[in-house]
Amino acid sequence: MNQKLWSFLVPVLSVVVALIIASFVILMIGKNPITAYAALIRGALGSKMAIASTIVKTTPLILTGLAVGFGFRAGLFNIGAEGQMIVGAMVATAFAINVGWMPAVLAIPLTMLVGMVAGAAYASIAGFLKAKTGAHEVVTTIMLNWIADYLSSYVVTVPMGVGFGTPKSPEIASSAKLPPLMVVQATELTSGIIVAVLAAILMKILLDKTSKGYELKAAGFNPYAAEYGGIKLADNIVLAMAISGALAGLAGTLEVMGVHHRFLGTLSGGKGFDGISIALIGQNNPIGIIFAALLMGALRNGSNEMQFVGVPKHIIMIVQAIIIFLVAADRIVRAIFLRKKVAK
Amino acid sequence: MKRLIVLSLLVALSVFAMAFKVIMVTDVGGLGDKSFNDGTWEGIVKAAKEIGAEYKVIQSYEQADYIPNLTRAAQEADVVFAVGFMMTDALFKVAKQFPNVYFVGIDIVPPEGTSLPNVLCFVFKEEHAGFYAGYIAAAMTSTGKIGFVGGIPIPPVERFRYGYEAGAKIYSTLHKKKVDILRGYTNDFEDPKKGKDLTMAQYAQGADIVFLAAGACGNGGIEAAREKMVALVGSDKLVDIIDYVTKNNKGFFAIGVDVDQDYMAPGVVLCSAMKGISMASYYGVKSAWEGTFEGGLKVLGVKESGAGVSPMKYTKGMIPNRVIAELEYLTKLIKDGKLVIPDTEDALKAFQVPAITFPF
Repeated sequence: MNQKLWSFLVPVLSVVVALIIASFVILMIGKNPITAYAALIRGALGSKMAIASTIVKTTPLILTGLAVGFGFRAGLFNIGAEGQMIVGAMVATAFAINVGWMPAVLAIPLTMLVGMVAGAAYASIAGFLKAKTGAHEVVTTIMLNWIADYLSSYVVTVPMGVGFGTPKSPEIASSAKLPPLMVVQATELTSGIIVAVLAAILMKILLDKTSKGYELKAAGFNPYAAEYGGIKLADNIVLAMAISGALAGLAGTLEVMGVHHRFLGTLSGGKGFDGISIALIGQNNPIGIIFAALLMGALRNGSNEMQFVGVPKHIIMIVQAIIIFLVAADRIVRAIFLRKKVAK
Repeated sequence: MKRLIVLSLLVALSVFAMAFKVIMVTDVGGLGDKSFNDGTWEGIVKAAKEIGAEYKVIQSYEQADYIPNLTRAAQEADVVFAVGFMMTDALFKVAKQFPNVYFVGIDIVPPEGTSLPNVLCFVFKEEHAGFYAGYIAAAMTSTGKIGFVGGIPIPPVERFRYGYEAGAKIYSTLHKKKVDILRGYTNDFEDPKKGKDLTMAQYAQGADIVFLAAGACGNGGIEAAREKMVALVGSDKLVDIIDYVTKNNKGFFAIGVDVDQDYMAPGVVLCSAMKGISMASYYGVKSAWEGTFEGGLKVLGVKESGAGVSPMKYTKGMIPNRVIAELEYLTKLIKDGKLVIPDTEDALKAFQVPAITFPF
């Protein structure tokens, strides 16, 4: 079977296998898997509100998935999407609070740009360290995550903190808020999803249609060969980290502009790390990442409904873990299904 | 036959619809923290059992879940609990959409200028509970250093700390004992490992008593205290611990938070700084059921039995009677408004211990 079909089939089969395995776990805790999965689907796609919340959850996941996926394509393991997301959101908020005088046509793109630049700059630190000193990006980005985490806690409690309540920044200017596509009761469907999908398409064009994309990919495939071929590795490392960071920063910025309308200390909620599994499930393909993020967003959102029929949401974490395991070890999936074929 | 099925379904539905239902929506922490969420849940379960209501808990995964979860809960419940400070904005957004559903917010203050008749909020004077912890810690420390481990530095956690520091200052001024305070935050309310690491670090810096105001992180801190104490005493039996502490006048202790956590490591958890969460949630359910529900904000302190200290079931023997008696006297002063425990950073900085003479 050809490679393209496989890279599509493996994730799909993994999901099926994961749901089957999880259904045994649900049986073991004395619940009915059919009821549970019915609730899961209802919660993810069963009503206008459900679909809106699923898309709200999917939007940042697409972008962090792209951030990590882009890094992978260029041969970099960016674990720092979490920190870059926080920094992007934080700086964008500081900017967006003060743009009340600007019309929305200006304020919205500028805020996004500021968030992306902040994320890119933060990620470039790790890129620069790798290019100059060879410090591994896995180590440096993890450390930068902690710096961003504590910095944001400080920022929302002291310099940007406001009011008595959740540690939070003031609300951003209304001209910098993304207009919602749809409002169902208190749930607003953010138009950030359009930006996220556009980002995926742009990334695909960059990687597949431009010479810079070719250079980045070449450096990812085999750095020595690429260098021999005249590609400047150091520049490419910094650039790849910067683009990756810009995507993560945009993820955080859109959360601020479209969902929370302010910066919260715990805004990221691990979405930067989710990006790693989403990039993996999407096989680092921008279009695949959109679907992987949608899958994750739907599972997460549906799991809330599952709780109403008495099934703990941790089941979804099991499903998620099995999917990641199977995709990562795709040879197992191939072996299972290919053998069946031979046996037939 | 068909008609029969439809009829029985209708009956079933109407019975289902008539049952009074309480749903608690938690923050990302969820049940099993043995402190804040479990405390609220305890009160809900108690009230729901008394009136024969259905009850359910829904856990949120991240901040974006608050609104969908509260909305879904409001669609089927009569009373919805939003538990935790982080849910403030979401609670008021959703409650506006469901004027016929009662909402109870625990640790939530209505945002300025918003007041909804169907939302009742409870906050607690954590500084009162923290005061007991600080006073007892200062009295019991043998190294002259006590520690504070907080979760995320949100106002309720900070109020615990203000009270803790004030309590220690009161003791150290009245008894001329020098007491230093170490402070640290785990930046998290879920991971016990973080609480354990930070507590261990404070022990390493010379503290011998650590107050854990960090939700489920604190469970790790209690574990750290237990390990250190067992290593010191050479046994985890309560009698041996009491024996060792009274003979050698030293040990490693933790102080619990929110609910009575003394049982989690008998003899090692010196006391617990309690807030009346379960009382508040019990009241919320009952008032909705009885039709006496009134929206607004209730602030509960020592006077309203909304804050206090655990009965110290296991450790009372180690704590000098004089300290217990002094606490009784100081409690009275707080209730009478003669001793004001600071509830802000500025008030803490400006806090001067008033002249107190014990009548004994």
